[in-house]
Amino acid sequence: MRRYERPVFSLIYRMVRDRALAEDLAQETFIKVLNGIQSYKPEFKFSSWIFKIANNAAIDHLRRRQLDTLSLDGSPSAMTPEAMSASAPQLGTGAESPLQEVESRELGGQIDRAIARLRPEYRSCILLRHVEGYSYEEIADILSLPLGTVKTYIHRARNELRVHLDAARE
Amino acid sequence: MTNQNHLTNDEVELWAQGLLGASRALHLSDCAACHATAERERKLIIELAQLPQFAPSSDFVGQVMHQVRVPTPSGSQLA
Repeated sequence: MRRYERPVFSLIYRMVRDRALAEDLAQETFIKVLNGIQSYKPEFKFSSWIFKIANNAAIDHLRRRQLDTLSLDGSPSAMTPEAMSASAPQLGTGAESPLQEVESRELGGQIDRAIARLRPEYRSCILLRHVEGYSYEEIADILSLPLGTVKTYIHRARNELRVHLDAARE
Repeated sequence: MTNQNHLTNDEVELWAQGLLGASRALHLSDCAACHATAERERKLIIELAQLPQFAPSSDFVGQVMHQVRVPTPSGSQLA
């Protein structure tokens, strides 16, 4: 477990960009791995199996969060300006908590901010390929995607990253 | 040099990793467009590979093990 805790935590952290949440999802990943070790199939690389569970946890969370996202204008059922205002989410004061400061420091670099702008599927692919060093075939296994799709996603992700980085550096 | 000779995306990635065969890599000395693309790709791949890993909190393993079912000789599993 010690061998995988950093790479798994880092992948999830870069996917969800929230340290406490990443820790919860990484815990969930290892609990599933250890409790489900009997279901591990040896023809699958062990690290690929762990990353598959980790990536699924992150993607599931991001999908749930997308569903839960409330419009800044408030509830869609609000019919009056007062009702819209009352149901709108309260925005923070702009001051960062200590944990947010850590997150800003850790994920605040240009490349991490560019990765954050990719759609989640591209983010998974680019992190698994160029940060974790998996082959295209392994990524296709981990993400349960056709090999051609993985290649397309990685190529598009790199193009998008370059565009974001060029814009940030101009 | 015709378009058919330009490096593919896969070849550009191989070159950026130092894995492209010499005969195909020769194209880069003749083609400014491919050379520029390949150089940009190489820089990006190096930047990605140098991203740091992060550590979870120090009690991470303990918190996980606390929630893992441990098989016992009697077959029951304790949390």
